[in-house]
Amino acid sequence: MSGFGTAVESGVRLLRSLPRRRADVEEARGTAAAWAAAHPQLEPQLVVDVRPGTPVVDYDLLLTHPDGGTVALSAPDEDGVPWLIDHSTHWAAGQLVSVDDVHLSVAQALTMLRSLSRRDVTPYEEIVDQCLIIAEVQGDDAPLDDAELQTVADEFRRGRGLIGRAATLAWLADVGMSPSMFESYIVGIARRRRFRQRKESELASAYLAAHRADFDRVRALWVVSPEKCTAATPQELLALVPGLREAEVTIDVRRARDLPAELVDEAGTSAGTVVGPLPHGGAFFTGAVLEREPAGDDPETLTAAGRAAFDEWLAERRRRATIQWHWS
Amino acid sequence: MILILSDRRDDAVEMVLPKLRSRGVPVTWWDPGDYPWRARLTAAFANGRHIVTLDTGDSRLDLSTVTAVWRRRPNPPTPAEHVTDPTHRAHVVWQAEFLLDGAWELTPARWLPCRREVERHAHNKIIHMARAVEHGFTVPETLYTNDPAELAPAYERAGGRMIAKQINSDEFTLDGADHRTYTTVVTRRHLTSRHRLRHEPVILQPYVAKAVELRVIVVGDRVFAAEIDTSASSTARDDWRHYDDDRVRHGPHELPREVADRCVRLTAALGLTYGAIDLILTPGGEYVFLEINPNGAWGFVELRAGLPVSDAIADWLAAAEPYHPEGAS
Repeated sequence: MSGFGTAVESGVRLLRSLPRRRADVEEARGTAAAWAAAHPQLEPQLVVDVRPGTPVVDYDLLLTHPDGGTVALSAPDEDGVPWLIDHSTHWAAGQLVSVDDVHLSVAQALTMLRSLSRRDVTPYEEIVDQCLIIAEVQGDDAPLDDAELQTVADEFRRGRGLIGRAATLAWLADVGMSPSMFESYIVGIARRRRFRQRKESELASAYLAAHRADFDRVRALWVVSPEKCTAATPQELLALVPGLREAEVTIDVRRARDLPAELVDEAGTSAGTVVGPLPHGGAFFTGAVLEREPAGDDPETLTAAGRAAFDEWLAERRRRATIQWHWS
Repeated sequence: MILILSDRRDDAVEMVLPKLRSRGVPVTWWDPGDYPWRARLTAAFANGRHIVTLDTGDSRLDLSTVTAVWRRRPNPPTPAEHVTDPTHRAHVVWQAEFLLDGAWELTPARWLPCRREVERHAHNKIIHMARAVEHGFTVPETLYTNDPAELAPAYERAGGRMIAKQINSDEFTLDGADHRTYTTVVTRRHLTSRHRLRHEPVILQPYVAKAVELRVIVVGDRVFAAEIDTSASSTARDDWRHYDDDRVRHGPHELPREVADRCVRLTAALGLTYGAIDLILTPGGEYVFLEINPNGAWGFVELRAGLPVSDAIADWLAAAEPYHPEGAS
């Protein structure tokens, strides 16, 4: 056999010996580099074919023929793996997460990421929440009116700075959606929004009845400072402020449930009672409730109660859901 | 009495059940996976007649009173947990299946889609493709083979645009992770491992250009066709089972009368009263048959394309039609 023939035979042995897993590619490159160093006249190059959705990789070896031109070698061995199994993909290839029976594709997740807005939960939790709501609206085929759809489409475009038709079409091209896909996408958002509104409205009264004190309107004062502020009355607390080197002072009217945790914990505190100083993220918290207006059944309070009830319902659904992140 | 044989978590049953209740028909939903440990089945022969009684644990049912059976997603018979010896467990399943099959055979009811044995044959792709051709369907030039020598010529005949599919759906693992074989677009790379074909038969077909894919649901003689337009999804373009809901459009589709009739005739010829048929509508307007699944999914056809399949199933089950002893034609 010629020297080239012998080298080809050796190259085939090399290819058959290389580990065919993505995690082992560097090892394979090292082995091939050593082989190449021993056959410099062939100018060998290893080509790694990394397939999507599977840990399996393939290799080719490119050699220079003594008479010019390139010889490409592939040499899959007989390892007893059936053809379609060797070329299979992970069952969730292209999927990011499965929440019960809702499977979120990477493309859907990327689109969804652009619309995540809640600051009180992580993006992971918000994606799961969206999947749970998607599951709830899957059977919803009740028609949506044009005004609802227009509102959702306008909000969606405003949120992305898509002013005008040209900007919207350019965005659709970027994310790979046709105009009709976009219409379906907006319908999906509108259905989820409608579900949320219905659920909030359905849960609001009972939630308010059970958590009425949480929705009291509370005027409160609090000081967060590296220095401890000890005061017997709110007036004393305010009087201390000019003497502090550094402090964040807040006087605000909020729902009781939206107060800083230190004051929420003291929700029963009567007006004028000073809470603290208490450790607060590397500083100290001192505060007091100044006034408390009991929650009524007005529309604004019911809306706030509906939102809180919905969040609680969603958190409970999240706890019960089977969640599988495929690539974490 | 209508008897539904399916897993307790079957969403499809949940969709149909209210429709049956609104029609005022009595229904028993039972999972054969409860048998033999939680449910009891007795076939008694005496005085020249027989009575087959199913005690589900909740109710007792004389199977002669059952007018229609919906065989959806029944679990196989399951031994009690404390039957631990694997040979004993296999024995229990074998005995239980045998009696169940006999009991169903003696149940003088209409079946949707059919009894177990009929489904096994109808589900076989090589059988139903032959029947589809007999009924005038266009099918892609198709090879079912484990011959490595067939691969490269098929690829060349397809002009380098070929797909490979499994003979039957299956689950397996690779490096411990669950893997699947979806419709695979064959590349030159696949040809280099042709020797692996010796280990399993596969389906090879030219890639059929599609305007849309269609899932056609046949319930008795009613036909519902849903378009699945995957053209905007790189994820689901070659196999819609990769689900990419934002980019895949579903909608109702009006089949030409003769194609719809052909779907009904093929379903009946396979001994089925229900079938989920996958077609491709080519850009040239031709309807190409891919396969029929005797118990294929229809939920998305109703939910996404708005077609009233659950009503049709409820109608079929509730209809007081005479028993056809020859089967489900």
